[in-house]
Amino acid sequence: MKMPYERRKGLYGYGFIALWLVGTLIWFLYPLANSLMYSFMEVRPEKGGMQGTWVGLKNYMYVFTVDQNYSKYLVSVLLETLWKTPLILIFSLFIAVILNQKFKGRAFARAVFFLPVIIATGPVYNIINGDISKSGASSAGQFSTMFSTDLMGELFQFIGIYGLSDKMQTMVETVSNNIFGIVWNAGIQILIFLAALQNIPVSAKEAAQMEGATAWEYFWKITLPYVSPMILACLIFTVIDSFTAPDNLVMGRVLDMQSDWQYGNAAAMAWIYFAIVLAAVGIITVILNQFIYYEVD
Amino acid sequence: MAKEKEMLASDGHVVGNGLSKKEIRAIHMRNMNKEEIAYLRRKEAMEKVWPVARFLILFGLCFIILYPLMYMLSCSFRAQEDMSDPTVMWIPRHLTLKILSQTMDAMDFWKTLGNTLLLNIGCSLVQVVTCAITGYGFARFRFKGKNLLFGIVIMMILVPNQIIAIPQYMEFRYCLGLQPIIENAFGPAVGSKFNLIDTPLTMYLPALMANGIRAGLMIFIFRQFFKGLPKELEDAAYLDGCGPFRTFIQVMVPNAASSFLTVFLFSVVWYWNDYYVSSTFFTQNATIALMLKNLNTLLSIKLFNSATVEISPREQILWMEAGCLLAVTPLLVMYAFLQKYFTEGIERSGLVG
Repeated sequence: MKMPYERRKGLYGYGFIALWLVGTLIWFLYPLANSLMYSFMEVRPEKGGMQGTWVGLKNYMYVFTVDQNYSKYLVSVLLETLWKTPLILIFSLFIAVILNQKFKGRAFARAVFFLPVIIATGPVYNIINGDISKSGASSAGQFSTMFSTDLMGELFQFIGIYGLSDKMQTMVETVSNNIFGIVWNAGIQILIFLAALQNIPVSAKEAAQMEGATAWEYFWKITLPYVSPMILACLIFTVIDSFTAPDNLVMGRVLDMQSDWQYGNAAAMAWIYFAIVLAAVGIITVILNQFIYYEVD
Repeated sequence: MAKEKEMLASDGHVVGNGLSKKEIRAIHMRNMNKEEIAYLRRKEAMEKVWPVARFLILFGLCFIILYPLMYMLSCSFRAQEDMSDPTVMWIPRHLTLKILSQTMDAMDFWKTLGNTLLLNIGCSLVQVVTCAITGYGFARFRFKGKNLLFGIVIMMILVPNQIIAIPQYMEFRYCLGLQPIIENAFGPAVGSKFNLIDTPLTMYLPALMANGIRAGLMIFIFRQFFKGLPKELEDAAYLDGCGPFRTFIQVMVPNAASSFLTVFLFSVVWYWNDYYVSSTFFTQNATIALMLKNLNTLLSIKLFNSATVEISPREQILWMEAGCLLAVTPLLVMYAFLQKYFTEGIERSGLVG
C-alpha cells in the first residue's frame, strides 16, 4: 500500500511527539485535571490516593469570603506585577541598548548583567534578597542599610524638592528601594533585547545616519519598532516569571494551605490566581499585538 | 598624490594643499548650514558626556549585582566575633575557614555535590534529547491536532508547578495507582516497594518523557530553532533516501549542536536551582538547593545537637552566606568557562526572531 508522502510524513510527526504525549498525559494533564477537581471537592489524603466529596463552589466561596489573607495578597501581588513589569521592561531595554554599544570592558559588563540569570531562580536569591529587603538587626544589619534607608527621600531634600505629593514620593521611593529586585529579575529580558538589537539590519542604521537622526530619534524610530515583537515576549516572560515565583505572596499562601492539608482550598486559590493571570496575559497580548511592527520579508 | 586625495572633502569641494586640520575644519563649517552645525555640536557634546554617564550607570548597577556575591565572600571567611565588630565592613579581622568548614559539614557538601551533579546532569541530558525530539516533531511535520497539542506545550509553560505538585506526589507515592493493586496481590512487603517518593526516579521519569522542569520552555525553544533551519536540508536528505528519523539524527542534530549545548546548560542551572519540585518529592535533603533551604535546622543540629536552639540571627548570617557561596560557586565556575554559550546561544537558538 502506498500512502502519499505528506500523509506518511504526518504520521512520523506523531512518532516524534509520542514520547512527550504519553508523558504529558501522565505528568501534566492528569495532575492538572485532578487539581481542578480538588478545587471543587473536600479532599483528604488516604491510603491509595486522595479521597474526596463533591462540594461544588464551596472552596471558591471560602477563598473569597472566609480567608482573610488571600484577597489581600492577591491584590498586592497583582499591583506589584502591574508596576514592576513595565519598569523591568524599560530597564532591560535601556541596559540592552547600552550593552550594545562599543566600549571598553563591555564583555565584563555583559557577563555581570547576565549573572542573575543563573542565580535568580534558586534559593540563593531568596536568601540574599531577604538580606537586602529586611532592614535592621534581624538581618544583615549594617550592610543592608545601604539599600533600605530612605536614600531617595534624602536626595529629594538635598536637591530641594519638597513640593511632591506624598503619594508621588512613596511611589518613587518604592521603586528606588526595589532597584535590587528589578536589576536581578531583568537578566533574561536584557539577553532577549540584546539579541533583538543585534538583528537590526545595518541598512536601517545607515539610512538613519544619512538622514541625520539623533540618538533619541534613532531610538524611537528605528530601535523601538524593530524590537517591538520582543517587547511582547519579554512582557509575557516577566509576568509569568513573577507569577510563578515561589516567594510570591499568593503562591506562599497556597503552599501554606497545602501544608495545612487543605488541598481543596489550596487548589481553588491556585486556580483563581491562574485564571486571572491567564486573562491578563491574553488581554495584554491582544492589545500589544496592534502596536507591534513585524517586518515582512 | 595620496595626500592631495585626502584633502578632498567629503562633500566634493577640493581643499587647497598645505592647510592645517583646523583650517580644513573651518572651511567645512563654513559650507554647512545652521542645522548641520547644530547637529554636529550636539553629537560632539553627546560623545563626550555619554561615556562618563554610561560608566557611572553601569558601575552602579554592576555593584548592585555583585554586592551579594562580594558580601558572601566577605562573610564566609570571617570569625563569629567579626559580626559584632563595627569596624569590620568588608575585610574580616580574623580570617578563618571555620565557618566555611562547619557549613560544609552540615551540608555534607562533597556527597551532596556528587549527588546533585549526577542528578542534574543526568536529568538535563535526558530532557534535552526528549525535548529536542518533541520540538522537531512540532516544527517540521504537519499532522492533525498539532495546534491543539502545541497549545498544551504553551500551557506547560504557563501552569506553575505548585498547581500540579500534589496530584503528582500522589502518582509517585502510589506508582500511578498500581501500588494498591500490587499490595492486594502480593502483600504489603512487596507493595511497600512501589513507592517512588525519595527516589531519583521522581526526577528522571518526567525528564525521560519531556515533562521535567521547564520542559515546555525547552520544547518551545527547540521548535523555534528547528523551524528556522532551511527546508532544503530536509528535501535533500529525502532525495538521498533518508527517512525522517535518520534526517533528524544525521542532518538536523549536527546543525543544532550549539543550540543543544545552550539548552543543556540552562537545564542544568534550572535543575540545580530547583528546590520546589525536589522538596515535594524528596523528604531527605538530597540536593544542594534543599540543603541550603534547610540550612538553619541542619546547623542547629550540627552545632548544638538540637534542632530548636536559636543562633543569634546576626551571626547566623555568616553560615547562611557561606552556604550560599558553596551553592553558587559550581554555577559560577561553569558560567565563567561557558559564558559564551549562555549568552550567544539565546541569540542563535531562535527564541528571537
